[in-house]
Amino acid sequence: MTTKSLDLDPKGKIKVRYFRLRNRLKEKAGTGQSREPGKFAMKALEQAMAELDKFADDYPDWVQGQVRELYDLFRKAKDKDESRRAIEFKRLNEIAHDMRGQGGTFGYPLVTTVADSLYKLTVTRALTSESHLEIVKSHIDTMNAVIKERVEGDGGLMGRELLTALEKAIEKFS
Amino acid sequence: MDYDLRLFTAIVADDNAYMRGLLKSLLHTIGVGTVIAVDDGSEAIETLKRVGQDPLKGGINSVDLVMANWQMTPVDGMLLLKWVRRHKESPDKFLPFVMVTGFADMSHVNEVRDLGVSEILGKPYSVQSLMQRLGQVIERPRQFVLTPDYFGPDRRRRKTESRLADRRKIKPEEIEIIYDDEIS
Repeated sequence: MTTKSLDLDPKGKIKVRYFRLRNRLKEKAGTGQSREPGKFAMKALEQAMAELDKFADDYPDWVQGQVRELYDLFRKAKDKDESRRAIEFKRLNEIAHDMRGQGGTFGYPLVTTVADSLYKLTVTRALTSESHLEIVKSHIDTMNAVIKERVEGDGGLMGRELLTALEKAIEKFS
Repeated sequence: MDYDLRLFTAIVADDNAYMRGLLKSLLHTIGVGTVIAVDDGSEAIETLKRVGQDPLKGGINSVDLVMANWQMTPVDGMLLLKWVRRHKESPDKFLPFVMVTGFADMSHVNEVRDLGVSEILGKPYSVQSLMQRLGQVIERPRQFVLTPDYFGPDRRRRKTESRLADRRKIKPEEIEIIYDDEIS
Protein backbone atom coordinates (compact mmCIF):
# COMPACT_ATOMS: atom_id res chain seq x y z
CA MET A 1 0.00 0.00 0.00
CA THR A 2 1.55 3.29 -1.03
CA THR A 3 1.36 6.20 1.35
CA LYS A 4 0.08 8.31 -1.52
CA SER A 5 -2.97 6.21 -2.13
CA LEU A 6 -4.18 6.37 1.48
CA ASP A 7 -3.50 10.03 2.18
CA LEU A 8 -5.51 12.77 0.62
CA ASP A 9 -3.29 15.75 0.03
CA PRO A 10 -5.07 18.64 1.78
CA LYS A 11 -3.60 21.10 -0.74
CA GLY A 12 -4.48 18.93 -3.71
CA LYS A 13 -7.67 18.80 -5.66
CA ILE A 14 -8.66 15.26 -4.78
CA LYS A 15 -11.43 15.03 -2.22
CA VAL A 16 -12.56 11.45 -2.78
CA ARG A 17 -10.56 8.46 -3.82
CA TYR A 18 -12.24 5.24 -4.97
CA PHE A 19 -10.37 1.96 -4.98
CA ARG A 20 -11.65 -0.48 -7.56
CA LEU A 21 -9.80 -3.67 -6.87
CA ARG A 22 -9.86 -7.09 -8.41
CA ASN A 23 -12.07 -9.58 -6.59
CA ARG A 24 -9.28 -11.76 -5.22
CA LEU A 25 -11.52 -13.77 -2.91
CA LYS A 26 -13.74 -14.91 -5.74
CA GLU A 27 -10.67 -15.94 -7.72
CA LYS A 28 -9.29 -17.77 -4.72
CA ALA A 29 -12.60 -19.55 -4.17
CA GLY A 30 -12.27 -20.98 -7.68
CA THR A 31 -15.34 -19.20 -9.02
CA GLY A 32 -13.61 -16.15 -10.49
CA GLN A 33 -14.04 -17.28 -14.09
CA SER A 34 -17.73 -17.95 -13.73
CA ARG A 35 -20.33 -15.34 -14.64
CA GLU A 36 -22.77 -16.94 -12.21
CA PRO A 37 -22.43 -16.22 -8.50
CA GLY A 38 -20.70 -19.04 -6.65
CA LYS A 39 -22.48 -20.92 -3.89
CA PHE A 40 -21.85 -23.16 -0.94
CA ALA A 41 -22.27 -26.86 -1.67
CA MET A 42 -25.47 -28.36 -0.25
CA LYS A 43 -23.30 -30.91 1.54
CA ALA A 44 -21.40 -28.08 3.27
CA LEU A 45 -24.70 -26.63 4.52
CA GLU A 46 -25.87 -30.00 5.83
CA GLN A 47 -22.57 -30.69 7.56
CA ALA A 48 -22.51 -27.24 9.13
CA MET A 49 -26.04 -27.70 10.46
CA ALA A 50 -25.06 -31.09 11.91
CA GLU A 51 -22.03 -29.42 13.53
CA LEU A 52 -24.22 -26.71 15.02
CA ASP A 53 -26.54 -29.39 16.42
CA LYS A 54 -23.60 -30.91 18.31
CA PHE A 55 -22.82 -27.56 19.89
CA ALA A 56 -26.52 -27.06 20.64
CA ASP A 57 -26.59 -30.37 22.56
CA ASP A 58 -23.84 -29.13 24.88
CA TYR A 59 -25.09 -25.55 25.13
CA PRO A 60 -27.38 -25.97 28.20
CA ASP A 61 -24.51 -27.47 30.23
CA TRP A 62 -22.05 -24.83 29.10
CA VAL A 63 -24.35 -21.85 29.63
CA GLN A 64 -25.06 -22.87 33.23
CA GLY A 65 -21.65 -21.40 34.02
CA GLN A 66 -22.91 -18.01 32.88
CA VAL A 67 -26.15 -18.42 34.85
CA ARG A 68 -24.10 -19.20 37.97
CA GLU A 69 -22.08 -16.04 37.38
CA LEU A 70 -25.33 -14.05 37.11
CA TYR A 71 -26.53 -15.47 40.48
CA ASP A 72 -23.14 -14.64 42.06
CA LEU A 73 -23.38 -11.07 40.80
CA PHE A 74 -26.94 -10.80 42.10
CA ARG A 75 -25.84 -11.95 45.57
CA LYS A 76 -22.85 -9.59 45.62
CA ALA A 77 -25.06 -6.67 44.58
CA LYS A 78 -27.66 -7.61 47.21
CA ASP A 79 -25.01 -7.44 49.94
CA LYS A 80 -24.09 -3.89 48.98
CA ASP A 81 -25.74 -0.53 49.36
CA GLU A 82 -27.65 0.31 46.20
CA SER A 83 -25.34 3.23 45.45
CA ARG A 84 -22.37 0.84 45.22
CA ARG A 85 -23.71 -1.73 42.77
CA ALA A 86 -22.34 -0.25 39.54
CA ILE A 87 -19.65 -2.90 38.98
CA GLU A 88 -22.09 -5.78 39.41
CA PHE A 89 -24.70 -4.17 37.14
CA LYS A 90 -22.09 -3.51 34.47
CA ARG A 91 -21.07 -7.15 34.47
CA LEU A 92 -24.70 -8.32 34.59
CA ASN A 93 -25.28 -6.20 31.49
CA GLU A 94 -22.27 -7.67 29.66
CA ILE A 95 -23.33 -11.26 30.37
CA ALA A 96 -26.93 -10.48 29.37
CA HIS A 97 -25.64 -9.08 26.08
CA ASP A 98 -23.54 -12.18 25.53
CA MET A 99 -26.44 -14.52 26.30
CA ARG A 100 -28.97 -12.73 24.09
CA GLY A 101 -26.59 -13.33 21.21
CA GLN A 102 -26.36 -17.07 21.88
CA GLY A 103 -29.71 -18.60 22.79
CA GLY A 104 -31.36 -18.38 19.36
CA THR A 105 -28.34 -19.90 17.62
CA PHE A 106 -28.69 -23.04 19.72
CA GLY A 107 -32.46 -23.37 19.52
CA TYR A 108 -33.24 -21.50 22.74
CA PRO A 109 -34.87 -18.25 21.58
CA LEU A 110 -36.43 -17.80 25.04
CA VAL A 111 -32.92 -17.32 26.45
CA THR A 112 -32.38 -14.60 23.85
CA THR A 113 -35.74 -12.96 24.68
CA VAL A 114 -35.18 -12.90 28.45
CA ALA A 115 -31.49 -11.98 28.19
CA ASP A 116 -32.44 -9.10 25.88
CA SER A 117 -34.90 -7.85 28.49
CA LEU A 118 -32.21 -8.18 31.20
CA TYR A 119 -29.77 -6.31 28.96
CA LYS A 120 -32.20 -3.40 28.54
CA LEU A 121 -32.95 -3.39 32.27
CA THR A 122 -29.28 -3.10 33.19
CA VAL A 123 -28.03 -0.83 30.43
CA THR A 124 -28.88 2.28 32.46
CA ARG A 125 -26.39 2.23 35.29
CA ALA A 126 -28.52 4.57 37.43
CA LEU A 127 -31.18 1.90 38.00
CA THR A 128 -29.68 -0.24 40.74
CA SER A 129 -32.39 -0.08 43.40
CA GLU A 130 -33.66 -3.00 45.49
CA SER A 131 -36.72 -3.43 43.28
CA HIS A 132 -34.58 -3.43 40.13
CA LEU A 133 -32.41 -6.08 41.70
CA GLU A 134 -35.47 -8.25 42.33
CA ILE A 135 -36.48 -7.88 38.68
CA VAL A 136 -32.93 -8.88 37.73
CA LYS A 137 -33.33 -12.02 39.84
CA SER A 138 -36.63 -12.89 38.18
CA HIS A 139 -34.87 -12.73 34.80
CA ILE A 140 -32.09 -15.03 36.01
CA ASP A 141 -34.63 -17.45 37.49
CA THR A 142 -36.53 -17.56 34.20
CA MET A 143 -33.39 -18.25 32.14
CA ASN A 144 -32.31 -20.85 34.66
CA ALA A 145 -35.66 -22.64 34.30
CA VAL A 146 -35.51 -22.49 30.49
CA ILE A 147 -32.05 -24.03 30.49
CA LYS A 148 -32.60 -26.63 33.22
CA GLU A 149 -35.87 -27.80 31.67
CA ARG A 150 -34.40 -27.66 28.15
CA VAL A 151 -37.25 -25.45 26.96
CA GLU A 152 -36.43 -25.22 23.26
CA GLY A 153 -38.12 -23.07 20.62
CA ASP A 154 -40.96 -20.94 21.97
CA GLY A 155 -41.45 -23.55 24.66
CA GLY A 156 -45.18 -24.00 24.00
CA LEU A 157 -47.32 -23.79 27.13
CA MET A 158 -44.36 -23.94 29.48
CA GLY A 159 -42.65 -21.13 27.59
CA ARG A 160 -45.75 -18.95 27.83
CA GLU A 161 -46.09 -19.68 31.56
CA LEU A 162 -42.46 -18.75 32.21
CA LEU A 163 -42.79 -15.46 30.34
CA THR A 164 -46.09 -14.67 32.08
CA ALA A 165 -44.48 -15.32 35.48
CA LEU A 166 -41.62 -12.99 34.54
CA GLU A 167 -44.05 -10.27 33.43
CA LYS A 168 -45.90 -10.56 36.75
CA ALA A 169 -42.63 -10.29 38.68
CA ILE A 170 -41.69 -7.18 36.69
CA GLU A 171 -45.11 -5.64 37.46
CA LYS A 172 -44.84 -6.52 41.14
CA PHE A 173 -41.46 -4.86 41.61
CA SER A 174 -41.91 -1.92 39.22
CA MET B 1 -20.36 -23.42 -9.18
CA ASP B 2 -19.50 -24.42 -5.63
CA TYR B 3 -16.91 -22.54 -3.62
CA ASP B 4 -13.61 -24.21 -2.86
CA LEU B 5 -12.31 -22.42 0.24
CA ARG B 6 -9.37 -24.70 1.00
CA LEU B 7 -6.90 -21.89 0.32
CA PHE B 8 -8.75 -19.42 2.53
CA THR B 9 -7.35 -18.28 5.86
CA ALA B 10 -9.71 -16.69 8.38
CA ILE B 11 -9.08 -15.19 11.80
CA VAL B 12 -11.88 -15.67 14.34
CA ALA B 13 -11.67 -13.42 17.40
CA ASP B 14 -13.99 -13.92 20.36
CA ASP B 15 -13.29 -13.95 24.09
CA ASN B 16 -16.18 -16.35 24.62
CA ALA B 17 -14.57 -19.77 24.20
CA TYR B 18 -17.79 -21.58 23.30
CA MET B 19 -18.82 -19.13 20.59
CA ARG B 20 -15.25 -18.95 19.30
CA GLY B 21 -15.13 -22.75 19.07
CA LEU B 22 -18.49 -22.84 17.29
CA LEU B 23 -17.49 -20.33 14.62
CA LYS B 24 -14.12 -21.98 14.07
CA SER B 25 -15.80 -25.34 13.68
CA LEU B 26 -18.50 -24.03 11.32
CA LEU B 27 -15.94 -22.32 9.07
CA HIS B 28 -13.90 -25.52 8.90
CA THR B 29 -17.01 -27.53 8.12
CA ILE B 30 -18.00 -25.31 5.21
CA GLY B 31 -14.52 -25.72 3.78
CA VAL B 32 -12.32 -22.84 4.98
CA GLY B 33 -8.80 -24.31 4.90
CA THR B 34 -7.20 -22.44 7.80
CA VAL B 35 -9.02 -20.90 10.74
CA ILE B 36 -6.97 -19.14 13.39
CA ALA B 37 -9.02 -18.67 16.55
CA VAL B 38 -7.85 -16.00 18.99
CA ASP B 39 -9.06 -14.75 22.37
CA ASP B 40 -9.46 -11.07 21.60
CA GLY B 41 -8.49 -8.17 19.35
CA SER B 42 -4.94 -7.83 20.64
CA GLU B 43 -4.14 -11.43 19.76
CA ALA B 44 -5.66 -10.89 16.30
CA ILE B 45 -3.43 -7.82 15.85
CA GLU B 46 -0.33 -9.80 16.83
CA THR B 47 -1.26 -12.51 14.32
CA LEU B 48 -1.83 -9.97 11.55
CA LYS B 49 1.46 -8.24 12.36
CA ARG B 50 3.33 -11.55 12.10
CA VAL B 51 1.74 -12.23 8.72
CA GLY B 52 2.66 -8.73 7.55
CA GLN B 53 6.26 -8.91 8.69
CA ASP B 54 7.14 -12.44 7.73
CA PRO B 55 4.37 -14.57 6.24
CA LEU B 56 6.45 -17.75 6.18
CA LYS B 57 7.44 -17.40 9.81
CA GLY B 58 3.80 -16.75 10.64
CA GLY B 59 2.99 -20.06 8.97
CA ILE B 60 0.43 -18.53 6.61
CA ASN B 61 0.78 -16.54 3.41
CA SER B 62 -2.03 -14.12 3.92
CA VAL B 63 -5.23 -13.60 5.83
CA ASP B 64 -8.38 -13.41 3.70
CA LEU B 65 -11.00 -12.62 6.29
CA VAL B 66 -11.42 -11.48 9.88
CA MET B 67 -14.54 -12.37 11.86
CA ALA B 68 -14.56 -10.62 15.21
CA ASN B 69 -17.02 -10.29 18.03
CA TRP B 70 -17.71 -6.66 18.86
CA GLN B 71 -17.71 -7.06 22.65
CA MET B 72 -14.38 -8.48 23.81
CA THR B 73 -11.87 -7.62 26.50
CA PRO B 74 -9.31 -6.14 26.59
CA VAL B 75 -9.28 -5.18 22.87
CA ASP B 76 -12.75 -5.28 21.32
CA GLY B 77 -13.86 -5.74 17.73
CA MET B 78 -14.13 -2.00 17.08
CA LEU B 79 -10.53 -1.33 18.08
CA LEU B 80 -9.43 -4.28 15.96
CA LEU B 81 -11.35 -2.96 12.94
CA LYS B 82 -9.85 0.50 13.43
CA TRP B 83 -6.37 -1.02 13.55
CA VAL B 84 -6.92 -3.08 10.39
CA ARG B 85 -8.20 -0.09 8.40
CA ARG B 86 -5.90 2.62 9.70
CA HIS B 87 -2.75 1.42 11.41
CA LYS B 88 0.54 1.64 9.56
CA GLU B 89 1.46 -1.88 10.63
CA SER B 90 -1.77 -3.37 9.24
CA PRO B 91 -0.74 -5.84 6.50
CA ASP B 92 -3.90 -5.23 4.46
CA LYS B 93 -6.11 -2.22 5.00
CA PHE B 94 -8.65 -3.65 2.52
CA LEU B 95 -9.04 -6.90 4.46
CA PRO B 96 -12.64 -8.16 4.52
CA PHE B 97 -13.92 -7.72 8.07
CA VAL B 98 -17.13 -9.22 9.43
CA MET B 99 -18.31 -7.90 12.79
CA VAL B 100 -20.27 -10.48 14.76
CA THR B 101 -22.58 -8.74 17.19
CA GLY B 102 -25.77 -8.80 19.21
CA PHE B 103 -26.03 -5.01 18.84
CA ALA B 104 -28.75 -4.59 16.24
CA ASP B 105 -29.96 -1.00 16.74
CA MET B 106 -29.25 1.65 14.11
CA SER B 107 -26.81 3.68 16.21
CA HIS B 108 -24.57 0.65 16.72
CA VAL B 109 -24.88 -0.38 13.08
CA ASN B 110 -23.92 3.13 11.95
CA GLU B 111 -21.02 3.22 14.38
CA VAL B 112 -19.48 0.03 12.98
CA ARG B 113 -20.20 1.05 9.38
CA ASP B 114 -18.42 4.35 9.90
CA LEU B 115 -15.30 2.48 10.97
CA GLY B 116 -15.23 0.58 7.68
CA VAL B 117 -16.78 -2.83 8.37
CA SER B 118 -17.41 -5.10 5.37
CA GLU B 119 -20.38 -7.02 6.73
CA ILE B 120 -22.26 -7.41 10.01
CA LEU B 121 -23.35 -10.84 11.23
CA GLY B 122 -26.11 -10.29 13.77
CA LYS B 123 -26.38 -12.62 16.75
CA PRO B 124 -27.99 -14.97 17.36
CA TYR B 125 -26.99 -16.24 13.94
CA SER B 126 -27.86 -19.37 11.97
CA VAL B 127 -25.75 -21.45 9.59
CA GLN B 128 -27.72 -19.85 6.75
CA SER B 129 -27.08 -16.28 7.89
CA LEU B 130 -23.37 -17.06 8.34
CA MET B 131 -23.19 -18.45 4.81
CA GLN B 132 -25.14 -15.51 3.43
CA ARG B 133 -22.66 -13.02 4.90
CA LEU B 134 -19.66 -14.99 3.67
CA GLY B 135 -21.28 -15.15 0.23
CA GLN B 136 -21.62 -11.35 0.27
CA VAL B 137 -17.95 -10.96 1.20
CA ILE B 138 -16.90 -13.19 -1.70
CA GLU B 139 -19.40 -12.09 -4.34
CA ARG B 140 -20.11 -8.46 -3.63
CA PRO B 141 -17.10 -6.67 -2.21
CA ARG B 142 -17.75 -2.94 -2.37
CA GLN B 143 -15.28 -0.46 -3.77
CA PHE B 144 -13.26 1.24 -1.06
CA VAL B 145 -13.62 4.95 -0.46
CA LEU B 146 -11.16 7.39 1.04
CA THR B 147 -12.42 10.81 2.12
CA PRO B 148 -11.01 13.20 4.71
CA ASP B 149 -13.10 11.50 7.40
CA TYR B 150 -13.67 7.95 6.17
CA PHE B 151 -11.79 4.99 4.82
CA GLY B 152 -13.50 1.69 4.14
CA PRO B 153 -15.97 -0.09 1.87
CA ASP B 154 -18.44 2.23 0.16
CA ARG B 155 -21.26 2.65 2.65
CA ARG B 156 -23.76 2.82 -0.21
CA ARG B 157 -24.36 -0.45 -1.96
CA ARG B 158 -26.49 1.09 -4.70
CA LYS B 159 -24.98 3.24 -7.42
CA THR B 160 -25.97 6.74 -6.46
CA GLU B 161 -22.67 8.32 -7.33
CA SER B 162 -24.01 11.12 -9.48
CA ARG B 163 -26.73 12.12 -7.03
CA LEU B 164 -24.20 11.93 -4.21
CA ALA B 165 -21.76 14.08 -6.13
CA ASP B 166 -24.46 16.68 -6.74
CA ARG B 167 -25.53 16.76 -3.13
CA ARG B 168 -22.04 17.07 -1.75
CA LYS B 169 -20.90 19.37 -4.52
CA ILE B 170 -17.99 17.16 -5.42
CA LYS B 171 -16.71 17.90 -8.89
CA PRO B 172 -15.49 15.13 -11.19
CA GLU B 173 -11.94 16.48 -11.04
CA GLU B 174 -11.97 16.06 -7.29
CA ILE B 175 -12.52 12.31 -7.59
CA GLU B 176 -9.69 9.92 -8.28
CA ILE B 177 -10.13 6.26 -9.10
CA ILE B 178 -7.35 3.84 -8.24
CA TYR B 179 -6.99 0.34 -9.65
CA ASP B 180 -4.98 -2.67 -8.46
CA ASP B 181 -1.75 -1.94 -10.31
CA GLU B 182 -1.51 1.49 -8.70
CA ILE B 183 -1.29 0.03 -5.22
CA SER B 184 1.96 -1.48 -4.09
